[in-house]
Amino acid sequence: MLTKTPLFVHFLAAFAIAAVLPMLLPSYVLATEILLFGLAVIGCNLLLGYTGLLSFGQALFFGSGSYFAGLMSIHLNLGIVPTLLITMALGALIAILVGVFAIRRAGIYFIMLTLAFAQLGYYIAFLAEPITGGEDGLLDIQRPALSIPFVAKFEFDSDFSFYALTGAIFIVVFVLMQRLVKSPLGTVLTAIKQNEARAEAIGYNVKLYKIVVFAFSGSVTALAGALYAFMLKFAPLSNIDLETSSQILFMTILGGLGSIYGSVLGSAVFLVASDFFAELWPRWMILLGLLLIFVMLYMPGGVSKSLEDLFAKISAAKDQRGKKP
Amino acid sequence: MNTLSKFLIGCASAVALGAPAVQAEDKELTINIVASMSGAFANFGLQAEKGARLAIEEAGEAAGMTLNMVVIDTESNAGKGARKVQADLSEHGPGIYVGTTLSSTALAVGQAVHDAGGVYINGGGADELTGEKCNASMYRWSAPTYGAVNASLRPVLEAHPDIKRVYTITPQYVFGEAMLSNAKTVLEEQGIEHVGNSYHSLKDKEFSGFIAQAQAANPDLLILLNFGSQAAASMQQAVNFGLKDRMKILMVWSSGLDTMQSLGSDVSDGVYFGAQYWHEEEAAGNQSLVALTQAKLGEAPNYPLASYYQMTKIMIDAVNATGGADPDALKAHLAGYSYDGITGTETVAADNNQVEKNFYLLLGKDAASKADENDFADVVSKGKFFLSAADAGCVK
Repeated sequence: MLTKTPLFVHFLAAFAIAAVLPMLLPSYVLATEILLFGLAVIGCNLLLGYTGLLSFGQALFFGSGSYFAGLMSIHLNLGIVPTLLITMALGALIAILVGVFAIRRAGIYFIMLTLAFAQLGYYIAFLAEPITGGEDGLLDIQRPALSIPFVAKFEFDSDFSFYALTGAIFIVVFVLMQRLVKSPLGTVLTAIKQNEARAEAIGYNVKLYKIVVFAFSGSVTALAGALYAFMLKFAPLSNIDLETSSQILFMTILGGLGSIYGSVLGSAVFLVASDFFAELWPRWMILLGLLLIFVMLYMPGGVSKSLEDLFAKISAAKDQRGKKP
Repeated sequence: MNTLSKFLIGCASAVALGAPAVQAEDKELTINIVASMSGAFANFGLQAEKGARLAIEEAGEAAGMTLNMVVIDTESNAGKGARKVQADLSEHGPGIYVGTTLSSTALAVGQAVHDAGGVYINGGGADELTGEKCNASMYRWSAPTYGAVNASLRPVLEAHPDIKRVYTITPQYVFGEAMLSNAKTVLEEQGIEHVGNSYHSLKDKEFSGFIAQAQAANPDLLILLNFGSQAAASMQQAVNFGLKDRMKILMVWSSGLDTMQSLGSDVSDGVYFGAQYWHEEEAAGNQSLVALTQAKLGEAPNYPLASYYQMTKIMIDAVNATGGADPDALKAHLAGYSYDGITGTETVAADNNQVEKNFYLLLGKDAASKADENDFADVVSKGKFFLSAADAGCVK
């Protein structure tokens, strides 16, 4: 779906998602969380959905982003744009470091290496209590303002204004990622996913491409972590733990591999379902588990693929009806 | 109205009107119960919910408004708890929030509620909650780590002057650090050697390595500074390793009856337990809770149930007293408020919002000495130990 769609249409679609989401949900906070986790899932999808790299290390990028952005807001007060750009650069740097080592192995060993790096990050954050707050999390984070010299200064104290900021960032990243996956780079990534040996045989530097995609993934995921820290006004240690990696991975698979739209859908379905089930039954995680089992068994391409199939069937049925005399 | 209903109504509204859904909630007051219903401390949350529900059902209404209870599951995770409370505040505006025992969650939730202008009472233990991180909207019912350590460790040391060497096992987060710091202060003051400490994380479930380290240090007293299932697991493993026969053991922050039921008399016999609440307290406020719990649930109240009952009741009583749920009026009423609580007379300190209440030191007894199935321990002592706002570093 939408493979040959102009970028402008993707821009309109992202804008529509950001505009409509708060109308459908009970709070701006949940809408903000869906968009920012949508970004984290896009980061994961770049690795898993487009390149075939199953990473259990996404929480390392997400949590690092939270800490970097939180610490910068507390100690440097640089403003929102420099803070987020530096966070993205640092996220990319960490991802490159992980990528350089992890891609030396494939399959289960690659997965274990990403897991090991994530655990390493977790315990560093846990032990660096004077810097990160340890198990208590990093408290007293303030949302930096957007200052345009001689023009205006925008604060993001209200839920609405912070949602507007997150929505604007989401639209930009969404469009850029659509551009990325449709670019020659994206084509090579898909080739690597489909047949790594053949991609290498025809002259592509597969290792370099993998490191590049790690950098993009780390950068976008760190951005999501930064926004999460600003939303909560603190950075919990759980941002960098294994559960966060699993959650991002679940959302990715739930939404659909190899789909930027599916990334947002996966985030939305997971978070809305979690909140809904939590209100139904204290042991709601059983229900969430059942939902995931159902999706894995009966919607193997994820929710986005199932929706595509549904639209295709409806369209085909209409065509059939149109051909009848 | 649940999230999915709101989502569906939102869809319909957006399609039909292009506007968000609006919900009507006339003459109804919602008390938001913040509890760990899932995750590592889920068992605590399930009991806590019972306590809050008892208080709400007992009152039925407050200031002419029907009471409604909404449970916010923190998932035993500070980030998720804070996010859900923020979402609730964003949706419904400043309201009344009750609960959580995890200090890290309480700190985050307390800040979110304060920023939004609501009222929040919790059962966290870290001194910061009514100390450096205090704020005008956050109240704490439980005795802080300072009170717990002083009310439990001092009587144990007085009863056993032969104790010269002490080992501690501590969870490495704000609560544990505060417990350890207070314990060290008492030990130093009494001239007792602190021969070692083992840190563990909130995720640890296996403590045998820490127990072995404690055993190797050969202390006269082992102090467990963790709580909940971690405290019970470390106590169980310490007894399995035979430490009870070689040294005294003190679990400073037990859940009282809940902990002893899970451990059984074989383990708890001869062990000291600090407790925020004990169901055999003779205060009138407690006797009515015991009767209510027995009548409604057919069981004796434990700490999670009792603490959430009391915290919820404080808020309901404040609503009745002020004739509404205006947060500023509630705060004004609570300053210096004194009442007959489940631990005797309890008073809300006006300067740092700490509820000053009794903390118990219990000594586990053997099965043959029990008067009934819940008579696991005798009360050795009870007392109130609280820092002043200035000493705690609270500037509201």
